[in-house]
Amino acid sequence: MGLFSRNKQSGRERRAMKDHLDELDELRRTSLSELGQITVEMASDGTFDRQHLSAKATEVVGIDREADLIARGLEDGLTLEELEDLARHEDEPGTDPGQ
Amino acid sequence: MRKGALKKKQRQLEELHLDRREALGELVLGMFVQGNWDDSLMARGAAEVSEVEAELKTLAAGETPEQDSAEHDFPVTGEYTAEHGLPTGEHTAEHDLPATGEYTAEHGLPTGEHTAEHQLPAAPSTKAERDAKTSLPTPVPAPRPPSATAPTPSAPATLKSSPDPAKPAAKAPVKDPSEKPAAPAAKPSPATPSPAAAADPAKAASPAPAATAATPAAAPEAGKEKSPLDALSERLEASESQAKTAAEAAKASAKADAKTEMTAITREVEADQKKLDTTLASAAAAIKTAEEKAARAEAKLARESASSREAAAVWVRNQAAEIEADAALAAEIATPGAGTAEAAVPPSPGTTPAEKATATVEPDVAAVAKIASLEADLAAEKASKAEALNAAEARLKQIEATAKLAEERIAAAEAAAATKPAEAAPVAAATMTPAESDKVEAEAREAAVNWLRGQIAALRHEIESAPAATPAESGAAETATAESPKEGS
Repeated sequence: MGLFSRNKQSGRERRAMKDHLDELDELRRTSLSELGQITVEMASDGTFDRQHLSAKATEVVGIDREADLIARGLEDGLTLEELEDLARHEDEPGTDPGQ
Repeated sequence: MRKGALKKKQRQLEELHLDRREALGELVLGMFVQGNWDDSLMARGAAEVSEVEAELKTLAAGETPEQDSAEHDFPVTGEYTAEHGLPTGEHTAEHDLPATGEYTAEHGLPTGEHTAEHQLPAAPSTKAERDAKTSLPTPVPAPRPPSATAPTPSAPATLKSSPDPAKPAAKAPVKDPSEKPAAPAAKPSPATPSPAAAADPAKAASPAPAATAATPAAAPEAGKEKSPLDALSERLEASESQAKTAAEAAKASAKADAKTEMTAITREVEADQKKLDTTLASAAAAIKTAEEKAARAEAKLARESASSREAAAVWVRNQAAEIEADAALAAEIATPGAGTAEAAVPPSPGTTPAEKATATVEPDVAAVAKIASLEADLAAEKASKAEALNAAEARLKQIEATAKLAEERIAAAEAAAATKPAEAAPVAAATMTPAESDKVEAEAREAAVNWLRGQIAALRHEIESAPAATPAESGAAETATAESPKEGS
């Protein structure tokens, strides 16, 4: 049982979370591939634009965070509302792992 | 090559390309997370991706990939340099290169473009010339340093194969086409041995015949086209090594993720600790206030109990005073004539109405016991006083009896005196008149009565001053008083 769980997670919510997790996984792979492609193009140009790379990497970090959140919701059996609360809590400054 | 095999290979290459791109993306992500950018590493990864991309393009164009091209055999990592045989000049002369130029790559020239540049032995060369070249003492070209600005004549042949991570292979400098093609082989740089020489010193140091003996098996293979599967296996080996590099990069990024997670967890723990500290401080303050309240309540209770005890003691004292006053009054009543001074016993000094009011408070057990003891004492005093009163009554009766006896004695004395004057009448009559004799008798009676009155007053005074006098003493006094009239009389 989850630490923050107040209500029971429904099967529909669980399925939705799993689907979203799969989507996020696919999106992560796509983003990483794009990041690699950008890096290749920059290498062919001979210069690396770190700002551009950082922007793209930030997207991937955001995807990772969201995926971690969904995975935690699945693991702890949280409802969507609880997951939203947890996401708001994690959005607070000081808890962002990407910063 | 069959079409199916080509499609399969193309599919594999596409997957490999995608995997490498993702690995490169992971690498860049790890650098971003760590904040530690390494351009050379990025260039290396990009070179690997572009390598597969080039192969894929080649395959898509319907051409078989060049076997052992410089791009494949000499990746930017440089780790396969010794294994695959760097393009030393010895191979050039040794293998009867055909005019097609398709073996150019095998012999160290990265691509076909160098073939024209260096005028490799695509042009027919005589056997004598080749022998002359092979007889040269290991013409090893010097590997170009990454930042070499003045390359040796053999540098163009090794430029593409040199592991320069900062620059991708596509950005390799192009040499002047007008350069003499024979110069690299003709002008070796003995000071800097080739990587191949470093890997196999015996081979490098041995003259051409030894090298020729070591390559007879390779020569026939070089004469034929390698099968695509072999080429693919070689590329797969190369890709495995590159995948290892990518895996290391992924591990680094995972470590970075773990570090960031640890940092986030540490921050959360610190925040929780702060909250806990504040909660503990507030709890400690609440406990302190509660303790102070309890101490105040205890002090108040002690004060109240002390005041109640004091009030009870006052009440007991008042009660005792009242009882004493009652007893004194009773004694006064029982002894009429006694002074009334004691009857009016005032209440104990300092007794206020408030204390009298608080005296109604029910005393505690100690006070009750004290009251009981005081009552017992009072009863004993009452008993002793009653005894004293009885004794006093008895003494009064005795005194009255003695007074009566004294009166009787007086009467007897008077009678005797009356008889005596008759006997002595002749004498007294002879000396005094009857009026004078009556006067003398009256004076004697008056003196006796005054004496008796004095005795009675003295006895009363004695009783008042010593109420608890023992009956024996009172008896002694009585006898003294009884004897004194005799003496006086």
